[in-house]
Amino acid sequence: METVIRFENIVKEYNMGKISVQALRGVTAEIQKGEFVAIMGPSGSGKSTLMHILGCLDTATTGSYWLEDQEISKMKKSKLSAIRNHKIGFVFQTFNLLPHLNIRRNVELPLMYSGMSAAKRKVLAEKVLADVGLADRLKHKPSELSGGQRQRVAIARALVNTPTILLADEPTGNLDTNSGNDILSIFSDLNRKGHTIIIVTHDSAVSERADRSIKIIDGLIVE
Amino acid sequence: MAISLKESIQVGLSDFWSRKIRSLVTVLGIVLGTMSVIVVLAMVNGINQQTLSWMMERGGLAKITVHRNWEYDGDGNERDYFTLKELFHIRELLPEAQFFNPETNDWGRITYKDKFYRNRVQGVVPDYQYIEEWTADRGRFISEFDIDQNNDVIVIGSTIKNELFANNDPIGEFVTFNNRRLKVIGVMKHRYLKNNFNVGNDNSLDYLNRRSFVPISTMVNKITGKDVINSLTLKAKSPEAAPDLADKLENILLNIRHGENIFNIESAQEEAQEIERNAQTFRMVFFLISIISLLVAGIVIINIMLATIQERTREIGIRLAVGARRFDLFIQFLVQTILVTFIGGVIGVATGFSILNIVSRYLEFQLIAYPGMVIAAIAVSVGVGFLSGIIPAIKAANLNPVTALRYE
Ligand SMILES: Nc1ncnc2c1ncn2[C@@H]1O[C@H](COP(=O)(O)OP(=O)(O)OP(=O)(O)O)[C@@H](O)[C@H]1O
Ligand SMILES: [Mg+2]
Repeated sequence: METVIRFENIVKEYNMGKISVQALRGVTAEIQKGEFVAIMGPSGSGKSTLMHILGCLDTATTGSYWLEDQEISKMKKSKLSAIRNHKIGFVFQTFNLLPHLNIRRNVELPLMYSGMSAAKRKVLAEKVLADVGLADRLKHKPSELSGGQRQRVAIARALVNTPTILLADEPTGNLDTNSGNDILSIFSDLNRKGHTIIIVTHDSAVSERADRSIKIIDGLIVE
Repeated sequence: MAISLKESIQVGLSDFWSRKIRSLVTVLGIVLGTMSVIVVLAMVNGINQQTLSWMMERGGLAKITVHRNWEYDGDGNERDYFTLKELFHIRELLPEAQFFNPETNDWGRITYKDKFYRNRVQGVVPDYQYIEEWTADRGRFISEFDIDQNNDVIVIGSTIKNELFANNDPIGEFVTFNNRRLKVIGVMKHRYLKNNFNVGNDNSLDYLNRRSFVPISTMVNKITGKDVINSLTLKAKSPEAAPDLADKLENILLNIRHGENIFNIESAQEEAQEIERNAQTFRMVFFLISIISLLVAGIVIINIMLATIQERTREIGIRLAVGARRFDLFIQFLVQTILVTFIGGVIGVATGFSILNIVSRYLEFQLIAYPGMVIAAIAVSVGVGFLSGIIPAIKAANLNPVTALRYE
């Protein structure tokens, strides 16, 4: 098996004036290529904090993090944008689409920052949107779509740069059961096609679909 | 490598349109600033041009005139006028003066048969026509010979010719002025200069067409009978030589009047320089005011852009999350600010020109705008955008992705 993610003794400390909070208190794990991993744990346990570090949106206070063969924890912050652009697809609980752009342009965004020509990225964005079942909504603004559809746009945007890992932080948290299940099926499909997926969830139904679960309590991995 | 400039401009433009009102408020200062620069400078240029062309019409910049100094309040021991002999003496002391014309006036009726016209008649020498660059276009002007001989001749203005002679040929006819029979030897060329201020007559020079001219000797010796000459006009060889000539003349006059400051000497060149200096001062003051208002406009723009970035924190977070570099965001917001001020500058220049258009239609006033003014106005707008865009752009570029995404 090929290891995609390896992190050791990750500590994340938030300094707020005099008090400092340790959101992660030394966590270690490995994730293999093609795995579908669920991260579970009570609210405030540090799940999102870990996801942000894995997604290169934030850096650990101490500890090391390898993504494929690159040691992210030793990289300069300025390099991280390229990693986010090429290797990471991130799906948020709150969709995080740009409201004034139509959905095709939303999906094109990562391609624009990787320097792809307008014509090419249009074709690619349309293809990925078709893959998530939104071929007929290209010109719609996010506000004209349902929550489930918006989350599919977000997934399309996460996939469009063919990332190494797909991270999702409670992607069904803002959805009703039905559209939540739709979204989870998309993740299962993607996993079957070979994508490495890490998903944060409160829902034990999700963890049943996953290959394995990582449980975090109070900033530590417990199983 | 950042995303292309074209991409940044597109993003900036779509932002501009999706927030039209805010964008317009942002650039109001720039619009007003560039607009008033265009309008005011065009007016200043126009007034300058107007004044200079008037001075050129009135004998050019080499002209020097001497009048009684009305502020002089002496004991009355010195004469406050010239005699003819005195003037011939002064002429000899000033060989560098190209032309030299003493002048004295009398008012009265010019009568021809049963018609008369009341106006001023000037006693002059032949140099008058060269100083004023104006002469008879029918018959001839007064000659040296007329001066020597105290000839009873007169050259009449075009209005007088029309009033007294209608369409008949006046040359060789006799008119009477203050009981003196004078032979008409010429008619002055008609003078015209459009009056751009639209008050009174539409010809600013019409008063000249009502004048007539006789030899100064005839005037002094036969018409008034008083050897009293009140004014003197000279012309230097060039405008540049005029100030020196004026200085020399001033010394001579002080000398013959024993240091009493009885006469005023005006040099057209010095007046023109004075006008230019005033215009320069005005431009400087206006320039400073413009700088201050641009500064204020810049501060307003910084504030609004900072607020915009605050509002768009989440968007910035999203862009960072999908791989935007800090430099991309820096450029995006800088370009956007510059775009906004550029559009403001263009609107300002356009409204400035519309105002000029309307104003000049009603004033019939010549307003002079140079292409350089447009380029400068727009360049300054872009410069203000650049300077006031930097701080907000840095702020946008330095946001932390996670904090930005959490922003509600
Ligand atoms: N920017 C921050 N500044 C200070 N403290 C923070 C910050 N972000 C997170 N924390 C703290 O770190 C801890 C972990 O937060 P995190 O968001 O990772 O929890 P979570 O497991 O994702 O919870 P939830 O299930 O509610 O999303 C919490 O105590 C939280 O208050
Ligand atoms: Mg969370």
